[in-house]
Amino acid sequence: MAYSRGNSHSDILSGFGQGLPLDQEDLVDENTILVQRTLRSGQSIRYNGNVVVLGDVNPGAEISAAGNVIVMGALRGVVHAGAGGDEKAVVLAFKLQPTQLRISNHITRPPDNETPDADHPEMARIRDGVVTIEVFQTGLNDRAGVGK
Amino acid sequence: MGEVFVITSGKGGVGKTTTTANIGTGLASAGKKVVLVDADIGLRNLDVVLGLENRIVFDIVDVTSGNCRLRQALIKDKRLEGLHLLPAAQTKDKTAVSPDQMRTLCTELKKEFDYVVIDCPAGIEQGFRNAIAGADKAIVVTTPEVSAVRDADRIIGLLEAAELRDPKLIINRIRPKMVRQGDMMSIEDIIDILAVDLIGVIPEDEMIVITTNRGEPVVLDQHSRSGQAYRNINRRILGEEVPMMSMEEDGFFKKLRKIIGLN
Amino acid sequence: MLEFLTKLFGRDSGSKNVAKERLRLVLVHDRTSISPHILEALKADMIQVISNYMLIDETNLEVSLDSSGNTVALVANIPVKGMKRASGA
Repeated sequence: MAYSRGNSHSDILSGFGQGLPLDQEDLVDENTILVQRTLRSGQSIRYNGNVVVLGDVNPGAEISAAGNVIVMGALRGVVHAGAGGDEKAVVLAFKLQPTQLRISNHITRPPDNETPDADHPEMARIRDGVVTIEVFQTGLNDRAGVGK
Repeated sequence: MGEVFVITSGKGGVGKTTTTANIGTGLASAGKKVVLVDADIGLRNLDVVLGLENRIVFDIVDVTSGNCRLRQALIKDKRLEGLHLLPAAQTKDKTAVSPDQMRTLCTELKKEFDYVVIDCPAGIEQGFRNAIAGADKAIVVTTPEVSAVRDADRIIGLLEAAELRDPKLIINRIRPKMVRQGDMMSIEDIIDILAVDLIGVIPEDEMIVITTNRGEPVVLDQHSRSGQAYRNINRRILGEEVPMMSMEEDGFFKKLRKIIGLN
Repeated sequence: MLEFLTKLFGRDSGSKNVAKERLRLVLVHDRTSISPHILEALKADMIQVISNYMLIDETNLEVSLDSSGNTVALVANIPVKGMKRASGA
């Protein structure tokens, strides 16, 4: 693999790459923007690539990305990954509580009468044609597997 | 052919959105086909009050700018068959829609629905002009405060200038006890000043907060006084004669006053 | 004690009367805000009518709305240059 482990940057990438349908080579070359603030109601980010937010995405805010969306905080607004039709796009957040979550042309919302209580990072992606949410593991064991 | 109501007030925070949600929900539970239009572009709230915020894909600006068909943007309510919402855009501003576009939109909606109820933004600028452009009738919401009544008066003047005559008045958040003590303007005081027809009075009620938290309009709550007040308004809109609800709580002092003949 | 009783039995005039009075005053002002356009039209009409009876100085004519207390008055200051001869009658 192209990554040498040892700096924090690749640590994040390798952790992210665990078990994901992402081509790590591509991730390096792809357009990615870093949003270094909290997105508040009424604010939106539209980007033809990956979006990384260092902050929260509040209810009423929107992110639409052709690629993946990673939120280093609470994701409570509307998010659309793979907006150009990429079925392999994922959404990852420390607290994944979106008003609505879209990947490619799949639209999902949290079930009614259920208050999500995500206190660990979660990741949404399409599996067998449905959007699934799974716990995102960042343990050492997971990372160890990446370098193979 | 349906009718278009605009719910307006001038001042913010007097209960336009709550009123819109409750009138729409009430009319729909009476079997009417109703669409609620959130004209508060940039500050949308009607979706949250109705508990539909996570179903929005397209909004009013997508419709007026041709990004989607009207049908695609309409959200069906989760409780009532006949109720629909056309949500506002959150990431745009009020200039994204023009009065002409609103008129066209209302004409379209009237063909399909018995009632089109528009939630108007606060203020008297473009958002207000957009919201009233396609309306046939106006309902003005006020509270028994000097500032709210003053703004209601201004709005009534502007509605008349826009050929929306005889607006109906809703007085919201009345506190009967304070009125009795002479520390709040009464219904009569406000009518006296504004000189318009009253269509309903809503008592201050904690249930409004509770039902809004849950995203379920209070009109569906059979036990609350504010829910009853909204049901009465809806019956009046449907043409029934309903006497104004008594604002008295049958408390100890009222009975006492009755006994000693002060009332 | 008396205060308590009057409050209790709702005979006190309370702050609502203050509110009502203040509101009445404010609305008198609000409602009389008249656009300059309308004021100009009014001026022109007045000149026309008055000119039937008097010779007036049109350039120094002043028309305004004045409010004091809770009344509003239309105040017109019209310099008269002379009377017209009564025509006919």
